[in-house]
Amino acid sequence: MSEPLRRLYRSVFRVGWPRTPKQRLSAMLSSLLLHLHPTRVRVHVLRPSYTLGLGLVSFFLFAVLTLTGLLLMLYYVPHTSAAYRSMLDLRYAVAFGPFLRNAHRWAAHGMVAVVFLHMCRVFFTGAYKPPRELNWVVGVLLLLLTLALSFTGYLLPWDQLAFWAITVGTSIVAYFPLLGPQVRYLLLGGYEIGQAALLRFYVLHCLILPLAMAGLVALHFWRVRKDGGLSAPAHASERRVLAWPHLVFRELLVLVVVLVLVNAFAVAVNAPLEDVADATRTPNPAKAPWYFLGLQELVHYGAILGGVVVPTTLVLALLLLPYLDTDPRGIGVWFSPDRRLANTVFACLALAVVAVTVIGTFFRGPNWAWVLPWAH
Amino acid sequence: MTPHQPLPEPREPPSRRRFLGVAGAAAVVTAAVGLVTTALRSLVPEVLYEPVRRFPVGRPEDFPPGSVTLVAERRLFVFNTPAGFYSVSAVCTHLGCNVAHQEGKGFACPCHGSAFDEEGRVRKGPAAWPLPRYALSVSRRGELVVDTRRTVGAEFRLKA
Repeated sequence: MSEPLRRLYRSVFRVGWPRTPKQRLSAMLSSLLLHLHPTRVRVHVLRPSYTLGLGLVSFFLFAVLTLTGLLLMLYYVPHTSAAYRSMLDLRYAVAFGPFLRNAHRWAAHGMVAVVFLHMCRVFFTGAYKPPRELNWVVGVLLLLLTLALSFTGYLLPWDQLAFWAITVGTSIVAYFPLLGPQVRYLLLGGYEIGQAALLRFYVLHCLILPLAMAGLVALHFWRVRKDGGLSAPAHASERRVLAWPHLVFRELLVLVVVLVLVNAFAVAVNAPLEDVADATRTPNPAKAPWYFLGLQELVHYGAILGGVVVPTTLVLALLLLPYLDTDPRGIGVWFSPDRRLANTVFACLALAVVAVTVIGTFFRGPNWAWVLPWAH
Repeated sequence: MTPHQPLPEPREPPSRRRFLGVAGAAAVVTAAVGLVTTALRSLVPEVLYEPVRRFPVGRPEDFPPGSVTLVAERRLFVFNTPAGFYSVSAVCTHLGCNVAHQEGKGFACPCHGSAFDEEGRVRKGPAAWPLPRYALSVSRRGELVVDTRRTVGAEFRLKA
């Protein structure tokens, strides 16, 4: 390498490819991305079977969504007369348009599922207990933000699927006592799902919610470091290894797996696109996005119960959990016998959420009557 | 080592400094509250670019006696009964889907299976409220006019 090139390279990568332990330490400290990590990590938290890498997968999916979302924004027009046409353009007139849209859609669905699983992992390993109470609360907010991002994005294609899912979803909002109708009015910018609603959902989806998400993700990561790294049981080995290569290369492996899966899904399965939105024609059955079909199933039994009581109770319970359960036993171990009651209760609730979602998705047909998934 | 000397009691801060501090804090709070209120208030629409809530649906003779007509673009039904005209909303009060009319059996909602009778009263849940019945009148041009801002009782019939 010539001397000017060498100097250019050195100005970007101060350390070069790290070979000695000293270089490996300074590599972790001298790069913006790497310095989010500690220089050494406990071997306990490196085991894939402990974290399953779920938080990291969520983060990588968010990165994929940001990149594909920015590209989609260059073609999408948030106007009721143009939105659906942009979808058709993306399908027929944009190079790799279907691929971009598929990747964005499947990564979004994947992120909802993975964030939920990440929460389950943190619960079953007791990782929300002091000193990590605040980070659990931030995590719950991130789950809600993920749902809100997915929901606001659901309206944008302006097809029948989008229009009626948002009709059902925002009507559930209106059931909240006192402020429900006003919140719906503010969210839609009117009484009907029209231009004002589309623009509000668009700005929320592309700007406000992603910025909030990025800020909370930063706080979430920072708290992991400030709370002494990932949770570990008191008896776990204190042995630490260098983050380069042991942590960094595991993370890269997770990134590769995420990218391969998103690519495979985007190539194999097309994102749905139905007819253009039409307020005079309700499809039968009209369904909310799948992650709200559990709610819709409960709403079928009673709107107040399913739309207000159950979700509010669940969210409040999740937010208060780390301040109610401060017993330090069982931290850092999957399904610790010291936490049999807590784990059983949580597992039942999580399974109930999954069960009503599966029922709403696969076992409900026209007029919300029972059907068998293989019968149609 | 000199014996430990107790620290002097902290003096009361000068009253002018304290006054300016409190006034400054109050100004910051007032400005912040003002900004947040302005921002939130600006989100409440002043003008709605939505279809008008009071509109003609056609001449009375467009609705044959004994008929039930869906005015799809307005999401409502017009009944012409021997006792007179009345209008029922087609928007399910449960979660906003369009109900379908079934001759003589009332209305059924495709989303969650709510059912209503011919007057819009709930026959079967999960809907908790009846379909609104809208006020009807005849304009000077002789057209049937629906006012969706005004709802009327089940006994309402318009002779036209």
